Amino acid sequence: MRKVAVVGTGLGKWGVRSATLKELAQEAGKALFDDVEGLPREEVDSLLVGCALAERLAFQSYVAPLVAEQLGINPTRMLARTELACVSGQSALKMAYMAIATGLSDIALVMGLEKMNTPDMSETQTSMACVLDREWEGVNGMTAPPYFAMVAQRHMHEYGTTQEQMAMVSVKNHRFSATNPYAHFPKEVSMNRVLNSPSISPPLNLLDCSGITDGAAAVLLTHGDAAKEMTDTPVFIEGLGQAATGNLTANLPSLTSWPTMRRAVRDALKMAGATIHDMDLAELHDCFTISEIIEYEELGLAEKGKGGRFIEEGQSDIGGKLPINTRGGLLGCGHPLGATGVAQVVEVVQQFKAQVPSQRYVGGEWGLCHNLSGNANNHGVVVLRRGS
Amino acid sequence: MGEEKGVRRVPYLLDFYPLQGEEHTRIHPFFTHLTEGRLTTTRCKACGEVLWQPRVVCPHCNGEEMDWIDLPQEGELHAFTSVTVGAPMGMEDDLPFVVGIVKLRGTGLKVLARIDGASYEDLSIGQAVRLKVQPLEDGRVWFRFQV
Repeated sequence: MRKVAVVGTGLGKWGVRSATLKELAQEAGKALFDDVEGLPREEVDSLLVGCALAERLAFQSYVAPLVAEQLGINPTRMLARTELACVSGQSALKMAYMAIATGLSDIALVMGLEKMNTPDMSETQTSMACVLDREWEGVNGMTAPPYFAMVAQRHMHEYGTTQEQMAMVSVKNHRFSATNPYAHFPKEVSMNRVLNSPSISPPLNLLDCSGITDGAAAVLLTHGDAAKEMTDTPVFIEGLGQAATGNLTANLPSLTSWPTMRRAVRDALKMAGATIHDMDLAELHDCFTISEIIEYEELGLAEKGKGGRFIEEGQSDIGGKLPINTRGGLLGCGHPLGATGVAQVVEVVQQFKAQVPSQRYVGGEWGLCHNLSGNANNHGVVVLRRGS
Repeated sequence: MGEEKGVRRVPYLLDFYPLQGEEHTRIHPFFTHLTEGRLTTTRCKACGEVLWQPRVVCPHCNGEEMDWIDLPQEGELHAFTSVTVGAPMGMEDDLPFVVGIVKLRGTGLKVLARIDGASYEDLSIGQAVRLKVQPLEDGRVWFRFQV
């Protein structure tokens, strides 16, 4: 097995964009090729595209060749699209990792993208409800916000977590996204503003929720030897983990404990030969404020039920135990489903290369990305290490 | 799901409700039982596991022989919330509405459903609820729970 490194990154502007799915792909592709200046497109032998809901949100199938056309790439080794709802992007990265590690591919481009804003928001919501079992659970008007509202309700009920603690996650992540020109919400928010934002699904308010966002992100992967020739700072993928249960909400053993996340974290760290305490920063899937609180617990940073206290003590901020979501997270950047898992990796790589503004610079050597999907039944983890 | 006079036909890919007739699904007895006011599911004849949702193959032992059994019609709220904005198509007029996870009485079984008969503010965890059969405009049925 060969070592696999990220040698280039590219982001387009995220938000409610006056741009189509294809144009989002072009923007992130341009940013990537600008970053790896001098790389001929012909050398990219593989393209993996993470995109969750193109059929429903952009009326478009066969997305990987569509993206190849936009980027001017003619893959000679591997071409595929991955769909795993909010983990679609990380799944594409994982497939590219496997292709390069085995020698099937030498240079692979990974793109995550999603066009989510349509002229009809209720049609978008209809499509989002298909992520759950549509005919059994989506049919009840169940989408992500009401599901995670019940998670928050149970966490408050079982452990005494407060809305103020949840709001602190939003305040922190928006403070970071305020320094991120690619973010959907590049603006700080106050505690008061989060707590008084309109109710979406109680106890979740608008600013407890990530946005409906258009966006794309890309990374370029190659094998260890080639990486050192392409960049001074290759960032190696050292560990991967994933664990899941089936998708029926009614059959989940618990709303507030995510054992599949614990498993994915354990496996990824073991593969990397590292512990959570070695990490210098982490990108966690804060689709809702309560998610990040539970993730502190499942990462082993806080005891079960004490995630609220962890944010209260500032432990997930710069200067705390582990800086989390310096990119601004899903809360600050928005959540274009297929793009998120790739953008998390982009942030860690750009941190290691000191390509981020000083207000959120952490740098370091080790980073962890966590991406979840559905009703938090599926979790994927990537552990990255800066090479020298 | 035939075209009937006065029934607005939603395009298939925007229609949330399962197709229920014998020509569409092998679990059609579930819907027939529901019209009779019964909430039922399948139990694997080979290993005895009660399966939710109803199945045609047992995910535990691969058995294909199923018994239909009645489930309790009463339960209590394990978790709930209110959908106040962002309803999918066809549900906008119902806003706000309550959804919840109901723990069925005397079983370990939970089901996700709409909760009728009370607003979010009036509910608390543990609230008793009972089955409500909801007829759809086109003759199909679905289950909800009510306070």
